Amino acid sequence: MRKTLLRMFLLLMMAAMVLPMLPLSAMAEEPVTVTVFVGEPRDQPTSDNKVFKMIEEEFGLKFEFEFLAGDLQETLGVKIAGQDYADLMDGGNYAETLITAGAFVNLMDYISEEKTPNLYTHVEPYLKRLLDDEGRLFIVPNYGRYYNTEDYPMNYVNGPSFFIQKKVLAWDNYPVIKTMDEYFDLVERYVVANPTNDKGQKNEGFAILCEDWRAFCLFNPVQHLMGRPNDGDVIVDIDNNYKTEAYGIQDYAKHYYKKLNEMFHKGLISQDTFVMNYDQYLAKISSGTVVGMFDQYWNFQNGNDALRAAEMFDSTYQGLPIVYSAEQAGKEVEEHYLNGSVINVNRGFGISVNAEDPERLVQFMEKMLSDEWQKLIWWGIEDEDFYMENGRFLRTYDQIQNAANMVWRNKNSAYVLTNSMPKRQGEMDDGNKWDPMVQPECYYLQMNDYDKEFLAAYGMQRPLDFFNDPIALAPFGEAWQIDVTVDQDANDAKIGYQDVQRKMLPQVIMAAPEAFDATWDEYVAAAEAVPVSDFVDFMQESILELVEKVTGE
Amino acid sequence: MRRAKATTGRTHMNGASLKKNFFWRTLWQQRQLALMSVPMLLYIGLFNYFPLWGWITAFMDYKPALPLFQNEWVGLKNFQWLFSRPEFLRAVRNTFAMAGINLVFGFVFPILLALFLHEIRTLRFKRTVQTVTYLPHFLSWVIVVGIAQTMLNSTGAVNQLLLSLRLIDRPVFFLGEGRYFWWLVGFIHVWKECGWNSIIYLAAMSAIDPALYEAAEMDGAGRFKKMRYISLPGIRSTFMVLLIMNIGYLMEAGFEIQYLMGQNIVMDWSQTIDIFALKYGITKGQYSRAIAAGIFKSVVSIALMTSANFAAKRLGEDTLL
Amino acid sequence: MTDRALVRKKGNGLHRRSIFPYVNAAGMILLMVFTLYPVLNTVALSFNDGTDALRGGIGLWPRVFSMKSYETIFQDEIIYNAFFITISRTFIQTVLNVVLTSMLSFALSRREYVLRKFITTALVITMYVNAGLIPNYLLIQRTLGLSKTFWVYIIPTLFSCFNMIVMRTYIIGLPDALVESARIDGAGDFYLFWRIIFPLTLPVVATIALFVAVGAWNSWFDTHLYNAGKVRLHTLQYLLKMKLATTTNSANAAMTTADAAANTTLTTPVTIRAAITVVSAAPIMAIYPFLQRYFVVGLSVGSIKG
Repeated sequence: MRKTLLRMFLLLMMAAMVLPMLPLSAMAEEPVTVTVFVGEPRDQPTSDNKVFKMIEEEFGLKFEFEFLAGDLQETLGVKIAGQDYADLMDGGNYAETLITAGAFVNLMDYISEEKTPNLYTHVEPYLKRLLDDEGRLFIVPNYGRYYNTEDYPMNYVNGPSFFIQKKVLAWDNYPVIKTMDEYFDLVERYVVANPTNDKGQKNEGFAILCEDWRAFCLFNPVQHLMGRPNDGDVIVDIDNNYKTEAYGIQDYAKHYYKKLNEMFHKGLISQDTFVMNYDQYLAKISSGTVVGMFDQYWNFQNGNDALRAAEMFDSTYQGLPIVYSAEQAGKEVEEHYLNGSVINVNRGFGISVNAEDPERLVQFMEKMLSDEWQKLIWWGIEDEDFYMENGRFLRTYDQIQNAANMVWRNKNSAYVLTNSMPKRQGEMDDGNKWDPMVQPECYYLQMNDYDKEFLAAYGMQRPLDFFNDPIALAPFGEAWQIDVTVDQDANDAKIGYQDVQRKMLPQVIMAAPEAFDATWDEYVAAAEAVPVSDFVDFMQESILELVEKVTGE
Repeated sequence: MRRAKATTGRTHMNGASLKKNFFWRTLWQQRQLALMSVPMLLYIGLFNYFPLWGWITAFMDYKPALPLFQNEWVGLKNFQWLFSRPEFLRAVRNTFAMAGINLVFGFVFPILLALFLHEIRTLRFKRTVQTVTYLPHFLSWVIVVGIAQTMLNSTGAVNQLLLSLRLIDRPVFFLGEGRYFWWLVGFIHVWKECGWNSIIYLAAMSAIDPALYEAAEMDGAGRFKKMRYISLPGIRSTFMVLLIMNIGYLMEAGFEIQYLMGQNIVMDWSQTIDIFALKYGITKGQYSRAIAAGIFKSVVSIALMTSANFAAKRLGEDTLL
Repeated sequence: MTDRALVRKKGNGLHRRSIFPYVNAAGMILLMVFTLYPVLNTVALSFNDGTDALRGGIGLWPRVFSMKSYETIFQDEIIYNAFFITISRTFIQTVLNVVLTSMLSFALSRREYVLRKFITTALVITMYVNAGLIPNYLLIQRTLGLSKTFWVYIIPTLFSCFNMIVMRTYIIGLPDALVESARIDGAGDFYLFWRIIFPLTLPVVATIALFVAVGAWNSWFDTHLYNAGKVRLHTLQYLLKMKLATTTNSANAAMTTADAAANTTLTTPVTIRAAITVVSAAPIMAIYPFLQRYFVVGLSVGSIKG
């Protein structure tokens, strides 16, 4: 026994001596190492990553990344308390916290028309929106700066809409669905005519995901039915002095939940929908039994991909921008599901006060914003990751697949870095798109035949064509981007309001038809008791402030 | 040095200094024991007690960006806020209820498992059972809860079974009705942790002198008698000490399982203090509130634990302290 | 007990003995079915194609076999380094923790020890108080400067109070005569601990070793907090946690970034999670059978006495 212990101790001592040397052995003589924090989970790039090699050769910079595995706000809290900042930091949704803590240097000290022409051109049109009250800039936005075009940045709608299986539209001979009533009517008729799918599984009319933060599937539809793009939990009346209200408790919201109540009692909504988790939701979607749902595309994209992989193309989804009828909304409603492009204020890298040479880092960003590097960032290396034909940037099918493959990207792309750096979007001077996925040729190449025929039946080119052109972006941007955590009461009210919705809207939907009104009133009363007004007042104030700042009114 | 001080005190002896003197002398005699324990005392002083300065932030509106004492003092505001929130009071109720259920289940099932395992004579079978029952401990809550949810929804295995046995005539909405929630959490805990938790009792039982069993067998005691009069008393002190310790943990009902299973209509029954603190505190940068909730938990825990310890002492049972 | 009662009991006992083992075994087999299902289901999922697995309904066998999840996990060579770090920390932490915890338990099990009550109370209280994240972080990162070192895995976790209590209870339960007779022979406390008590506590040492090892093996939060920026010091669980978060996040990232368009990755959170569970749990699960032999009835006390 004793001998074993002695041996264990010896081993231990040896390990103790060897281990601290590990990080040392990894540090050879090398170029300047820049530490980077990114507030999102990411894989480390592989050590033989080709783009990072090129960056190292060109700029003499090497990067040491810290990605996020835990909670962002919590992590930033400890970093701020310890003043433990990386050289470059992307605070994601909570960058504001870092800015108020004084973690970043003012970039306007380094950016000027002479010293950094690319960066200057990049931010110049948006300076009003980007600079704070003292004329300082801490973060150059990573996305949302469009050159040469104001086009919607995609060929499909990545955001919210009422989705429906393509086969349902085909079954009804490709109707044009405009209103909520038409939509649910179609869902109902289809399920009555087709109680099961072609595999004999029971069809489910309408699914509502209510889990945790993804419960926006339950909360958000009303604002869109009222003809507004996504502003989160409030609706803003642009024409009426930006009057802001919580749409979830307004009378017009009642029409929607009344409809769902009817659908529930017709058996088109299952009670399980209110307790299913995200995995189960995706399982339902990808089994092809869910006829329709309200969601944002990215939220169920995995399910749609699964249907495609199983070659159940007719069960994949098309988004429909439906609205209330004039009677329901109290006015004629035009759909505006799409918002104009929005510059991603306060998203991206800031240079921390701990950075030894901010000048050098700014110059690095400046050069990365040049045509040459932007092409490399978006498209990669010619004849490896893309090819040129008649002046067009093109990709083969395999190259498209590669670019979407995480494993490949860890080896062949510097996206972990460039995601947070300023980038050009829109069009190059020669008319090519910066983003390969927006380049029409690339988009069509990966579209399957079923989709092409489906779109042709509607006389359309791309899924986006179902939607109206984006509405001009409101001066306050998109209201969901406003950080509520800076105001304690507003923040509590928002959490409380969402909890009330999460708890009580399912009850409203499941209420016996004769008890519907009473349950609805109970729900509204609970929301008002939170009081939701604390949140709405804060939003109203912030929106007016932003409008004043941007328009100067 | 201290010993020297104690010796000089010897010339003017009164009661107190005699006692003090005796203390130091005994300590010197027990210096080996002190060497085995005092360094650890210093260690916990540094790692567990020193950081408690953080508790004063419960009385501030703490922002990590500022140096500690530049934060605004708000007195008891954070505590008042906690107790004015119906959600918090519900969270306290839920925490107690679920921790209580877990406490009872967490003793009954593992001990039963340990007792019955103990009775298995085939060593290989015994080890197999042990190993297999302990495996679910290594699955994350996401996986376990996911499987449980699939089994419990209206078309899931549990409802199918109950329907086919004609115990119910339409599916039970297990996941959507608050009154089931606490018990579901209790049973899922048993499923995942029963085998793991029985290890401690198996270890305790291995201290029982086999001669006792032999003697009992000679007296003709059956299996249940042996369990009742030998195995159970054999783990009695372990049981008592764990019981006292876990009574102190009545403020800890876990967090993950409730978070994964209860973020919907059953919210009023599922939210624990930890979820509350996370939701209204940490993830929104309101650290002071989380600390205030933590202090409340600690105070109640220590009160519970010392009461349990006191009660055990009065009853002449083994105690924790 | 009267003779008659004895006879009756004997009869009873014999009667029970005949069917009890079968009932017991049947119960255990049922229990194993219940506990094995989620485990086998996880293994099956881990070998299933990710996109197909989204459709649900996979039981004990993969529907569309695929090694993609494992390939994704083992894609990067860094995981081997992480294995090494995790094994090292688990080993060092377990040995130190077990030795220090048992030493402490022994000291605090001696009724005559004058500091016993004070130290025990101080230790027990630590189980119920928590200073919060920030003060702990400042202590380790600023005051002690342990962040970005291997030692941050070892030094803050040198012993555990819960285990100390379990072990102390066990030691108190040992016959006093053992210690007393050794004392009379003039043995010091260190000698008593090493030579008499420690060998007797092997079942509980095994238990504690298991608890500590599993805890050390599974911890990721310290890496996240202190060593996230040092790739060479990443632990296995941290890497796997990151891998899962990346997979889950790849869809959500598309919300703000335009570049995750046509998602053709063949891994999905469902299968990655399963594969991660297998990769992370299998090695540590395997130590249990080795520790099991210490749970044999009466191994310690009986043998010493005899």
